[in-house]
Amino acid sequence: MTRRDLLVLEDGHEYQEFAEAFLGAHFDVRAAHSAQEALRQLEAAMPDALLVDLRFERAPVGTLVGDVDATARRRFAGDTHRAIRHLKEQQGTLVLGVLREAGCAAPAVFVHDFPARRLENLRRLYGDVHAVPGFDARAIARALGAS
Amino acid sequence: MRWLLALGLAAALACDDGGEHGVDTRAQWERAEEAWERGEVGAYAMWKELDTDTSIGREAHRRLAEADPHYREGVELLREGDPDARHALAAGIALAPMDPSFYLALARACRDQGLSLRAAEYYTKFLTAFPEGERAEEARVELRRLDPQLAGLFDQRTLLPRAPTAPDRSPWLLIVAGVFLGGVLTLTTQTVARFQRTRGVSLERLVAASPEFHPAIAYLVGSLRHELLKHRIGAAADAIAGAPDEERLAFLRKRLYGGQPLVDAWEAHLSAFERALGHRVDLHRDRSFRRAGRAIRRIARLEEGIGAGQPAALSALAEAHRTLMALDRELAGLIGALIRTEVDRSLLEEIAKEVRSEHSAGRVELASLAIEPPAGAEAVALDVFRVDLVLILKNVLRNAILAVAEDEPPRHVRLDAVVELEATGEETVRIRVHDSSAKTLDPEILFDRRVDRGLGLVAAAVHRYGGTIDVEPAEAPYEKRVVVAFFRTFAEES
Repeated sequence: MTRRDLLVLEDGHEYQEFAEAFLGAHFDVRAAHSAQEALRQLEAAMPDALLVDLRFERAPVGTLVGDVDATARRRFAGDTHRAIRHLKEQQGTLVLGVLREAGCAAPAVFVHDFPARRLENLRRLYGDVHAVPGFDARAIARALGAS
Repeated sequence: MRWLLALGLAAALACDDGGEHGVDTRAQWERAEEAWERGEVGAYAMWKELDTDTSIGREAHRRLAEADPHYREGVELLREGDPDARHALAAGIALAPMDPSFYLALARACRDQGLSLRAAEYYTKFLTAFPEGERAEEARVELRRLDPQLAGLFDQRTLLPRAPTAPDRSPWLLIVAGVFLGGVLTLTTQTVARFQRTRGVSLERLVAASPEFHPAIAYLVGSLRHELLKHRIGAAADAIAGAPDEERLAFLRKRLYGGQPLVDAWEAHLSAFERALGHRVDLHRDRSFRRAGRAIRRIARLEEGIGAGQPAALSALAEAHRTLMALDRELAGLIGALIRTEVDRSLLEEIAKEVRSEHSAGRVELASLAIEPPAGAEAVALDVFRVDLVLILKNVLRNAILAVAEDEPPRHVRLDAVVELEATGEETVRIRVHDSSAKTLDPEILFDRRVDRGLGLVAAAVHRYGGTIDVEPAEAPYEKRVVVAFFRTFAEES
């Protein structure tokens, strides 16, 4: 079986550990913990698949994709704390957006139970996007075309 | 007017016999009158207690009876939005204290007329007078919906005009009364503090009764589900399945026993609930939380057996895992669908109709009042209680209509809603009230959420639901529009 290149996008190491333990048969796993780091990884090699954490709650504010002040103004009545929290909670989608802009079209999987319409919106915005509600290795591998 | 009545009562007092009974009645009257002066909720009861065998008691009861229909009429007129309500209520206030049983009806009438500050004031007074019972629970829910923070803002002394000083007070009586009141106050404070400490309800009840806490609860539940139930417990599902090899056991050990001990993590989440929600919630009242707590502690005790890969330990772990996943599903269900409101034509028309039926906003001649619901066949829903959304939008629309009233015709107002797609895949519902008034609105005041400034109360309510309010320029024939925005709630979202 041809091993493929999986890029994990997360703020910690849990997804990477999971992927190495349970998806190691299908993928070589590497990880990035911010959009900037992910872009550097793209320069090294385009991945075949992306495993994306939605919430980057431990990420430093300076590394977040998204304009805190503009988000605060437009969505949170000027409250920057809530804007930062929102950007952290949704950061995975925004990092994916940055990778798509950089030309990475690899299938992406979120471990999250998105409502159908939200997933449809993410596909409209970012193409080949999947969601698996829990850490189900077989389902994730299947979504990334590796089963 | 009121000092004349006080004088009348003082004269009646002077006609009472000068014996011990007369002295008691005088002291009782002085306390009752002082309570009235201070606008105390208990003033009415103190007046009622005055002995009708004395002339002062008879006079007080006569005035209470005379004031009653004025108050009743005032509440009715206010409910209908009639400006004469003020005169009727003033006539009652000039005579005697209000029967506290009117407070709830008065609070609701104020609320329905958009007098939110006054409404909160009377809800507070009603609850002070009747802290128990079904109506109290209703009042508490309605007050919380209005704004829980307002309850503390009111000074009851502002409710009534000052009456003339009561005649001829004995300093000893004042000292005794002071000591007595001090004792009562201390006891009451201790009782209330004890009550506050012990009155937490289950999470489910808090969710059902207190929409103002929904954003905080959603965040707390989201964190618990994501950080503990999903990342640490849920992630173990694959490792538990079948007979795990050494690599999977290592993963399991690290996930369950690495980093912060599970019990500490669990307790930290429970503490976060308590910190954010105070003593309103008592998670020990939830059977699922109790079971989950036991399951967490059980997993903690299994460390050695799991480390050794013992089948019995793995089996016990699987059972604890099922319990915790059941809590996860229950929490998902609890948060969903409770406060969902559809933004459609019927909602927008209801708001316009209610505002136009009001006395002040209904009289303004408009060239147009356009209504346009969101485009598309699919329902657009928000996680905001309908009653609150109506209250918010009625305030904004009323404000717009009263603003254009200051201009010459033609006057145009429009209420519409649009949906915008965000880069996160979420959607924002923007409900917009356009008006043709050249009068400007400073967005910074809206952001301030100060209840005493313009739409500050509305902004505070919007903020509570995780929304925002802003003002922006609008296309002709409008000058500006106030935009209230919330994230769209998707059909199966929880």
